[in-house]
Amino acid sequence: MLKSFAAKATVPPAIAVTGFVVVCCILLYSVIKTDMLNDAIEHETNLAGTIVKSARFAMLKDDRETLRNIIDNIGQQKGVEHTRIFNKKGVIMFSAHAEDVNKLVDKNAAGCIACHAGPVPLTSMGRMEQARRFINEKGHNVIAITVPIYNEPDCFNAACHVHSPTQKLLGTLDIGLSEAPLQKTLGTLRGRMIVFCLMVLILTVGGVSALLLRNVLLPIKELANYVTAINRGELNRKAPAYRDEIGELARSFEDMSARLKATQAEVKQQKAAEGDGADSRS
Amino acid sequence: MTDTRDTPPMKQTQGNPPQPDAAGTPPDRDTVRQETILRIKQLRSKSNRGLWALALFIAVSIVALGDFSILPSLPPAVRMTLGKPPSSIMISGALVLYTFSAIILILSRMMGGKEEYSGFAHVGYLTAFYGFYHFAKALNENYWAVFVAGLTILALESYHIWNFCNEAIRREQEVLDTIERFRKS
Repeated sequence: MLKSFAAKATVPPAIAVTGFVVVCCILLYSVIKTDMLNDAIEHETNLAGTIVKSARFAMLKDDRETLRNIIDNIGQQKGVEHTRIFNKKGVIMFSAHAEDVNKLVDKNAAGCIACHAGPVPLTSMGRMEQARRFINEKGHNVIAITVPIYNEPDCFNAACHVHSPTQKLLGTLDIGLSEAPLQKTLGTLRGRMIVFCLMVLILTVGGVSALLLRNVLLPIKELANYVTAINRGELNRKAPAYRDEIGELARSFEDMSARLKATQAEVKQQKAAEGDGADSRS
Repeated sequence: MTDTRDTPPMKQTQGNPPQPDAAGTPPDRDTVRQETILRIKQLRSKSNRGLWALALFIAVSIVALGDFSILPSLPPAVRMTLGKPPSSIMISGALVLYTFSAIILILSRMMGGKEEYSGFAHVGYLTAFYGFYHFAKALNENYWAVFVAGLTILALESYHIWNFCNEAIRREQEVLDTIERFRKS
């Protein structure tokens, strides 16, 4: 089957077009996914910054009740998987999940190790390094951001606080958002890209095959049938009429068939004349 | 396959002289036949080269699927020497250009009827793409792109070399048929 003229004409373009379109779609999907993930991280970092700024006044006043309420309310928001503030030692002071309060955060866990990898923990890091992606205990995909809460002059100068001016970091806000909306959007995008891919493939491969079949393969088949008929001795048959190269070839065959017919008639006539001559001699 | 009915051996008995240029002088015929059979064998083994390259690429892809975890990781000193890896967008751009140019080159070779085959070189280039994505920590996202690109390029290469070898085998077979015809006559 692969040795046929139709296969030789359609298989290479079909493989080339299919492969190239699929590669481009996969790479495009990968780039869009990375861009959307970066946007989500940026959005979450801004959200974390807003929370820290909103909680700042309650922290200055050492109003733990208000701070607890802020964290609880944020935690109840749809799509927020966890919100917590832990101190420099890693003890969770406030959390939307009450059972987590006073637990110690593992410094080797994802999100902490980036700063705590070395002997001296880092006090600042880039926006993308603050983010981590993981599957939580509920089985949800989560993008989490850790934002450091710095010791600012207002903090160490306030009468109620005991932080020394040399202390750079007071604690960390950790917020995790569900990846479900992002995954849903990516799923829709994936589906649309697959449909687009299939449409492009059907149009190109199907279009090329249909045109090839109509303009090349069918005329060749007709020509082959015509030549076979001449070979069988059907010299009166009309050649298929086309205005292209196949038509020229068919007309040449028709001329050849006409000459063959004339030669055959001539030979027949000659034989008949020779027969008559022999009869008259005898 | 050639149709031996085209030139019936009857012509020889009608007094036509033998055609030495078609089948060689009688002592040469066996040599030509042996050489032709050898060439057909070589072409048959050559036509399988595409499948070998595909198998090699699939083996490399299986290793890459696990992010090269079965291979020992590079020492930090070597990593430092290699420098910062290019961004995944740059690698993806290079992959698109490479796939496009490779397809164009293979199709032009098909059009020109050239024997040239570069399947094993493509396995090397594709392995390099896996390596670049691995070092850029973007192999999980882009694995299937490299895999499909590799399958496309190597499938085209395989089809090209298989087709070319089949055509050449057909021509050699015609020579063998001619020798056989002269031997019988």
